[in-house]
Amino acid sequence: MKRRFRFAAALGGLALVATACGEAPDEENDTATNGEEEGADFEACMVTDEGGVDDKSFNESAWNGLQNAVDAGVINEDPSLAESNSPSDFEPNLRSMVDQDCGLIVTVGFALADATQQFAEDNPDEQFAIVDFIYEEEIDNVKPLVFNTHEAAFLAGYVAAGYTETGTVGTWGGANIPTVTIFMDGFWDGVQHYNEVKDEDVEVVGWDKEEQDGQFVGDFSDTTLALQISENLIDAGADVLLPVAGPLGEQAAIAARDDGDSVVIWVDVDGYEAAPEYSDLMLTSVEKGISVAVEEAASAAAAGEFSNEPFVGTLENDGVGLSPYYDYEDELSDELKSEVEELREQIISGELTVESDAAF
Amino acid sequence: MSTARVLTRSWRTPITLTVLGAVALVVFGLLAPPGEHSTFGVSTGGDLVQFEPLALPSRLVGILLGIACLALAGWSFTLVARGRRVPIWLSITFGVAFVLAFLTWSVAGAQISLPALLQGALALSVPLIFGALCGLVCERSGVINIAIEGQLLGGAFLSGVVASLTTSVWAGLVAAPLAGLLVAYLLAVFTVRYYVNQIIVGVVLNVLVIGLTSFMFGRLLSPNPETWNSPGRFLSMKIPILGDIPVIGPVLFDQTVIVYIMYVTVAVLYVALFRSRWGLRVRAVGEHPEAADTAGIQVNAVRFRNVLIGGAVAGLGGAYFTLGLSGLFSREMTAGQGFIALAAMILGRWNPIGAVFAALLFGFVNNLQSVLGIIGTPIPSEFMLMAPYVVTIIAVAGLVGRVRPPAASGQPYIKT
Repeated sequence: MKRRFRFAAALGGLALVATACGEAPDEENDTATNGEEEGADFEACMVTDEGGVDDKSFNESAWNGLQNAVDAGVINEDPSLAESNSPSDFEPNLRSMVDQDCGLIVTVGFALADATQQFAEDNPDEQFAIVDFIYEEEIDNVKPLVFNTHEAAFLAGYVAAGYTETGTVGTWGGANIPTVTIFMDGFWDGVQHYNEVKDEDVEVVGWDKEEQDGQFVGDFSDTTLALQISENLIDAGADVLLPVAGPLGEQAAIAARDDGDSVVIWVDVDGYEAAPEYSDLMLTSVEKGISVAVEEAASAAAAGEFSNEPFVGTLENDGVGLSPYYDYEDELSDELKSEVEELREQIISGELTVESDAAF
Repeated sequence: MSTARVLTRSWRTPITLTVLGAVALVVFGLLAPPGEHSTFGVSTGGDLVQFEPLALPSRLVGILLGIACLALAGWSFTLVARGRRVPIWLSITFGVAFVLAFLTWSVAGAQISLPALLQGALALSVPLIFGALCGLVCERSGVINIAIEGQLLGGAFLSGVVASLTTSVWAGLVAAPLAGLLVAYLLAVFTVRYYVNQIIVGVVLNVLVIGLTSFMFGRLLSPNPETWNSPGRFLSMKIPILGDIPVIGPVLFDQTVIVYIMYVTVAVLYVALFRSRWGLRVRAVGEHPEAADTAGIQVNAVRFRNVLIGGAVAGLGGAYFTLGLSGLFSREMTAGQGFIALAAMILGRWNPIGAVFAALLFGFVNNLQSVLGIIGTPIPSEFMLMAPYVVTIIAVAGLVGRVRPPAASGQPYIKT
């Protein structure tokens, strides 16, 4: 059955590639009215991970980076996009991008690491940038864009521990992979730090940093299980949820709304803006500056200054950060907010180190 | 020769039960740490009569349940020795005792809420039950339906979109079976009328629906969620009296209308398949189409109709994803559950009641792994995620025994 399903998924992927190819040329708009036409002669392309470009999360964030580069006039309008519905789509999607005249191919996600490496080595003249992965041996034509998200997640854990009324906070992920667990590690440490400083006993459910194990859906599309896990965590007493699962994050917000007393911490992008329908539930967001990193990589490549030097987003270079508290600004004490600000500075200065096995 | 075969087959259940019973007694009872208590919440906030959570001494209860399991196993031995078959209720009682022993063991020193555990189990089972019903309606007439996944997804999509556009969840609920029907119509045309391989058509239809809904999602639903993707949800309706029964009341009778429709569908299909002329004809067509044809039944007409009915049932199940749970559609939200539903249908031996229990078993184990993961088990999460599949395999191999699909399942009927 599984093999049949894979076959089905492969066919579906091909169908999607076909649609993506069909949409790319949009010549009417090429005589755009932005005055920087000489800069805009550079084609950027992107291959997404599962979840699609509208996942209100990392795929969307990377795509926004290319759109920002378009708005700045450094790359051509309508960058080519190939969305992946399953891992079997990665190769055909990359192949179609290599076949097009791409100046830079952005691959989004840890899951595309092997496919990107293979295509980069087979096509040494193409330039690649990969989000969320760094190779042990650097590849000449691949620029890694990675993020030490645990630094920002640490702050989020501290905020969550300070906010919770039940003394329990929860987190769950799409799959037990480094780019997911790095959030959970930071969150866990933030809560433990709070417990240490305040002599409190706030509990984290759904993740155990020592065991490196917790609650996972197993994929990034099963909304039923994602909703159920969120409800189970709330039943276990959690009133702050940190879902680390791209498009499935919505399910945590739905469960939190049903419960009425719970809030959510969004990941990757500022959830208050990216998912406005749940803005009233957003305590804060652990932001990952994917869009800025992608925009800069595209700009550099367009200017002929491509390098394979990795970009590592940290609190220090604003590559990762905590979103404003928006609706919860008044509910959090000034003391807590200033402590978070202090912690941020301590992490930047190196006075306080946050560790994760998944860090870069 | 034939008696020997009968004997070897019938000893399987007592042996399986004895092994599992011994595991329960030793692992969940004797080896459990003494002095711990397992606490089970019994009441939910809305119950009329509130019960205190039950705090049971883990080791003692584990030992008692283990002994009960072994006693049932021993009974099954005596039954088989007397040449009788092990009744299904014995296996089910055994299963319940075994699961309770496991629960008591794994919850030692912690607390879980029984209604919440069962509610979650049902929530995870509902799409599987709809899917399995769809599958068996088709397969009983001889058409294998691999496109359940697509029919569920189509139902989820169309119900979400229609409910958003009309701002009425009821309109969405009416639209859901239509989507399933549409997919099923394509399946029926290709397989029943043109004799195309049933598996291949089903796979292609799944791909079509996944591609189509993902495309529409990216183009319409995601950019304009207010117009296209805000269907809202059904609220749960408590049935008076029944809903006040402790533990199972809130689980079974405080649900959305989609779940109540599911209860009715299961009952109707069971009666229709095994107690009506229609059902007799359907089964005849699925078992021996030539004979049915000779008796004057229009084989392909019956099949065509059944595929459509099945599709409508699965489409209705799709509405559960959008209108029952999330209140919105998302890309590929059925996540392969149409295929699990096929497994539930087989585990349930192509019988609506059996399929319900199989789906419930799957949902229960799936939710159990999450709940136990939260209170903390020493078992790694990857293994826990496998648990539903492992349990299904054990159930099929050890307890259900040999299953036999309808004889003509998968074979097109070409009149000669």
